[in-house]
Amino acid sequence: MTDATSLDELGPVDYLVVEFPAGASNFTGEMVTELLALVDSGTIRVIDVLILTKDADGAVEAAELSDVGELGALEAVEAQLAELLAEEDVEHLAAAMDPGSTAGVLIWENLWAAPFASAARRSGGQLIANGRIPIQAIIASIEADEELATEGA
Amino acid sequence: MPLRRGRVGRVGVIGHPVAKTAVVAKAVTPGPSPVAKTAVVAAAVTPGRRRRRI
Repeated sequence: MTDATSLDELGPVDYLVVEFPAGASNFTGEMVTELLALVDSGTIRVIDVLILTKDADGAVEAAELSDVGELGALEAVEAQLAELLAEEDVEHLAAAMDPGSTAGVLIWENLWAAPFASAARRSGGQLIANGRIPIQAIIASIEADEELATEGA
Repeated sequence: MPLRRGRVGRVGVIGHPVAKTAVVAKAVTPGPSPVAKTAVVAAAVTPGRRRRRI
């Protein structure tokens, strides 16, 4: 049975796929440090992590975070994972990858947004749209502004 | 390495194949250097700066 209270308090859940082209990875531990900082500050809760590899022929293999080996500081995060992603999600996510690349998939709950979302619901509001504005769109908008200003000069 | 058994046979949450997002560093149009572009974008979202003309 679903816990209605906890569902009401659930923050928005996002995902990202970070691709590392063949030979381009440079793991210094910096990503782990930043991720743990977000977790420790209560900004996010990590829900799921997968590591995907796509070979030159396009075949995809998925590994659990626990398969990586020595997790170090990530052990606490791994212990709290909810395994939200299903096998069919792997194929869908890997569609974005280039052959020969490796990618990390991260699913997280935006804890910072949960109290505001709950307050909005309690106030009678309902989410009817959300999304992300790509940096490219901001650049295009600025360039269009500049072009208009130039034409008007 | 296979996926954990709990992931197999379940309905997924992503729903459709994901398209590759344009890589930001490569998507910047020719012109001023990417560093300059970054500064411009940052300026556009600086607190207090209003671009709306409605």
